[in-house]
Amino acid sequence: MATTTTIAPTRMELMKLRRRISLAQKGHDLLKEKMDALVMEFFNVLGRIQDARGKSLQQLSNAHRALTKCLALTGTLETLEAARETRRGAQIEISTRFIMGIQVPTVEAGKIERGALERGYDVLLTSSSLDDAAREFEGALKLLVELAELEASAYALAGELEKTKRRVNALEYIIIPGLKAALKFILMRLDEMERENFTRLKRIKAMLEERG
Amino acid sequence: MSYKIAVIGEPETVAGMSLTGVTYSHIHSNAEASLSKLEEFLNNSEIGLIIVTHSVAEGLGFEFRKIMRQKGPLPVILRIPDKTGRTPKYDELSEMIKRTVGAEIIVKKGGA
Repeated sequence: MATTTTIAPTRMELMKLRRRISLAQKGHDLLKEKMDALVMEFFNVLGRIQDARGKSLQQLSNAHRALTKCLALTGTLETLEAARETRRGAQIEISTRFIMGIQVPTVEAGKIERGALERGYDVLLTSSSLDDAAREFEGALKLLVELAELEASAYALAGELEKTKRRVNALEYIIIPGLKAALKFILMRLDEMERENFTRLKRIKAMLEERG
Repeated sequence: MSYKIAVIGEPETVAGMSLTGVTYSHIHSNAEASLSKLEEFLNNSEIGLIIVTHSVAEGLGFEFRKIMRQKGPLPVILRIPDKTGRTPKYDELSEMIKRTVGAEIIVKKGGA
């Protein structure tokens, strides 16, 4: 370890090291707890995503089927024209909340479903298949908005999880072992110095006895 | 806060979404135009949700992934399949799980 060569083997350093190790250990435990909580939250969101995805994609394919039918029945141009004339009022409410200190958006669909007359295209010039398509798409959008919230949460959680995991691993596999190695080095070195001192004293004693 | 919705996709998706009253829309024709439109939507503070079809997102490729990584919590970008129902083979979510949890986890239907 690089740290062992630069460390002065003194009792002062030993005490400092012991303090640092206990701090790193404490930090590691706390981060690990945070990671566990994040994983739980992450899987909770994942389960909900799976549901929401299935539902919204099903609804979306229904919507596309209705739209295709409408394109066939009323003609492409008329349909696209009507789509362009539609009133553009869809709004969503977004606020942010915090899961374990991570900012996560909460998306709520406002009033998306509308009656045929509220949509703004000319009801007289279009067929009921357009109304069907619009209704299906409104339903799909509502579900998609929910899905968007979940996916954004999942991405935010995953990002934080990755960061936390990297920190936990750095502490667990690099910092703490490095500190422990340094601690061991100092202990060995101090023991060695003590033994050296002991033999030196013995030797001096023997020399003194010889002379005296 | 109230936000508006934007959509980028092929004509059918845009038409369908327009029928629901989505405020901003762009019909994808080439990557440069869609990319600049996407940046415009991102910088527009009244847009809270941008819906992009998977095929467009794939067409934008690296640039799109860069945007996804760099943007803040808002606006939310959601990718949806286009009219053919095509979704990418490479599922980013499961890739993300693999990277973060360290093992591939298959979430069964009906909850984890």
